[in-house]
Amino acid sequence: MAFLSIENLNAFYGKAQALHDVSLSCEKGEIIAVIGANGAGKSTLLDSIMGLTKTTGTISFDGTPLNGGPAAAVERGIGYGPERFNLFPYMSVYDNLMVGAFTARNDIEKNLAAVFRLFPRLEERQAQETSTQSGGERQMVSLGRALMTSPRLLIVDEPTIGLAPKVCTEIAAALRRLRDDMGLTILITEQNANFAMTLAERLYVLEAGAVRATGTVDELRDDPRLLEAYFGH
Amino acid sequence: MLQIIIQGLLLSGLYALIAVGFTLIFSVGRVLNLAYGAYLMIGGYAFFFFSQQLGLPILLGVILAGVLGCLAGLLKYRLLVIPLKGDHVAIEISTLILAVVIQAGIVLLFGDSPKVLLPIVPGVTQIAGASVTFNILTATLVSWAILISLYLFIKKTHLGRAMQAVSMDKKGAAISGVNPDHINMLTWGISGTLGAVAGVFFASYTQLSPSMWVAPLIIAVAVVIVGGIGSIIGTLIVAHIIGFMEVIAVAEIAPELRGVFTMLLIIAVLIIRPQGLFGREEIQ
Repeated sequence: MAFLSIENLNAFYGKAQALHDVSLSCEKGEIIAVIGANGAGKSTLLDSIMGLTKTTGTISFDGTPLNGGPAAAVERGIGYGPERFNLFPYMSVYDNLMVGAFTARNDIEKNLAAVFRLFPRLEERQAQETSTQSGGERQMVSLGRALMTSPRLLIVDEPTIGLAPKVCTEIAAALRRLRDDMGLTILITEQNANFAMTLAERLYVLEAGAVRATGTVDELRDDPRLLEAYFGH
Repeated sequence: MLQIIIQGLLLSGLYALIAVGFTLIFSVGRVLNLAYGAYLMIGGYAFFFFSQQLGLPILLGVILAGVLGCLAGLLKYRLLVIPLKGDHVAIEISTLILAVVIQAGIVLLFGDSPKVLLPIVPGVTQIAGASVTFNILTATLVSWAILISLYLFIKKTHLGRAMQAVSMDKKGAAISGVNPDHINMLTWGISGTLGAVAGVFFASYTQLSPSMWVAPLIIAVAVVIVGGIGSIIGTLIVAHIIGFMEVIAVAEIAPELRGVFTMLLIIAVLIIRPQGLFGREEIQ
């Protein structure tokens, strides 16, 4: 069985269905990207993995079903960097990171050193409140907080949204290092297909809550379904 | 003048202790717990029962009052707040009704006549020429010790940070492995404990009566409105502003105007700075 395995996932907001029979798998050590336009269901998919939405279908992680809500998902080894960061605005960078360590208190020193190695700027600004930080810095804190949970799978929702190209490059490099140096498995969602193709090995194209295409970057690069998902033609 | 400063400091310490448990619930759970004053009543009467009627040691009486307050907070969360989750108006109305029910229970158990709680620490001392009872001095010192401990707990421990995190972003806390429901439960327990302990000192400063929950509730609401949510330091400062205003009103103007300036301050803050003097606008 795949490291992360999602089968026939349906997600609902009240009576509205946001995901339709989504199936997806991710092997250990892989970087995969789910790409799609606004409203395709990317954030819902990641929220569903964390147990934040009402779903049917199965989500298994490392051979066992995930069904205990976000705290259980974190304890099982899934770290989440959400699109809007969901940081604690009036707490310092350090305290934000420490909240991430809530369930991984034995690994604090090791994880904190890894976060500061990855994002030296956070070490310099660890006393700064996150409400006063730039978008790029907040993304770093968000990823850092996820890393403080000692994850084996890192899921990140639109890591480049609203960020300057230089910061996007930094984030891409950090994600690659997390896989190469720390052995993390990474699942990202992206609207920026070019960014996703430079980072991921495999892609899923999501449109209107359903998977329209899947394959390696080379297989999908010129696939008309990719264009269709974005431009509807 | 010196007497006003000393009385102001002493009263303000007590007010800060009264208000901090209420602020905590409002900050973390976003619930205006209108039954908060009932914790003080439970604490005061429990202490009266255990220490004055059963003759248990004073410290044990305070601890048992705190335990009962904690249980009241936990039960209220479990039986009232969870079933009404998300409906803040229903929660607020229910907490107010609960306070009235608790008041009726107190009347049933202890009668409706006021009772004098003997001083926790008897005796009087002179500080810079002002007469100060050991009772209010103890209340102030205990208040400060509790407030400092609470501040350190919230700022320096994992659980305290988790409480702050839930108050600022529930989803962010949840994806960090914090269970917001557990944190809310803990907060209600702490708030109940703080309210009950404050009730022991408040009753020993004033008197025990079945309507004693109203005045502390007004103080707590005033501190939250004037101070804004989410700041223990803000709570402390505003408790001192209100405490000093009351002492000055009583000593220099007219004792009848004791609470009037607090009310005027609430109205002024609501008009000029609705988020409170130390409150921060939420970032979505």
